[in-house]
Amino acid sequence: MTILILIALAAGIFCGRFLFSAQAAALAGDLSDWILMLLMFSVGVSVGTNKDLFRRLRRMDLRVWMVPAGVILGSMAGGALCSLFVSLGFWESVGVSAGMGWYSLCGVMLSDFYGADVGAVAFLSNLLREILSFLTIPLAVRWLNPYAAISLAGATSEDTTLPVLIRHTSAEMVVYSVVNGVLTSAAIPVLLRLIYDMGR
Amino acid sequence: MLILGIFAVGILVGYRWFPEKLKRPNSVLQLLCIAALVFCMGAMLGRRENFFEELGRLGLDSLLLAVIPMACSALLVFAATKWWGKRNKKQADGEEKS
Repeated sequence: MTILILIALAAGIFCGRFLFSAQAAALAGDLSDWILMLLMFSVGVSVGTNKDLFRRLRRMDLRVWMVPAGVILGSMAGGALCSLFVSLGFWESVGVSAGMGWYSLCGVMLSDFYGADVGAVAFLSNLLREILSFLTIPLAVRWLNPYAAISLAGATSEDTTLPVLIRHTSAEMVVYSVVNGVLTSAAIPVLLRLIYDMGR
Repeated sequence: MLILGIFAVGILVGYRWFPEKLKRPNSVLQLLCIAALVFCMGAMLGRRENFFEELGRLGLDSLLLAVIPMACSALLVFAATKWWGKRNKKQADGEEKS
């Protein structure tokens, strides 16, 4: 999937640079609003169909809530800290870090809120988060614990990074990974909107 | 707000009425929407006059905004789950003694 996304991005940049007129690029911008709405509905449906997960949640201990809470708070705190070093403002940095690895949604939403610059950083940094988590998960399992390894993956722990997590942890961790992924994914659109409203 | 409303409606539809056989087509739809969105984003970026010159600065900001939040999440979750494990062990030891 990552390769498909990179191809789509490269194709878009190429078309924008060499093929599209100003009107065509503006149309792409308008179209992206409608596509985003369709995507959000579809993602909502995916979250809602996880009935088994909601049942399991009631039976598990506090750690099943600690992991997504830690991912959300830790990511946003990291974003706030980054605002001291990067060219983005405080709220923009916090917004970018609140993407927690969901590069496509975060990139598009923040592009809509703050402009293409911030959208590009959001896209790239969250894509990097996904790629880096493949490399750092085994290290986190060895030096910290499996829960910390899940937190590195952020919202991707329910799909793209799940195979890596299973490989380096245990069957019990699958439920923590999937719950973390579902809860953080569900929180991202709400957080991005909240952060944008707080920064205005 | 409209986006969040649509998201909430999707959750409700998924929880109450969405048929099992449409789960896979729904995943495919998500992938297509993501690819289309990323293409549109790329087109808007490509249109910008100094995009390639700005890419170096954007790259460093992106790296910092990936690494530092990851490190903060991992450390926070590690500390919280370690504390929870110690607390449970204390309670279990206390119950054994009594």
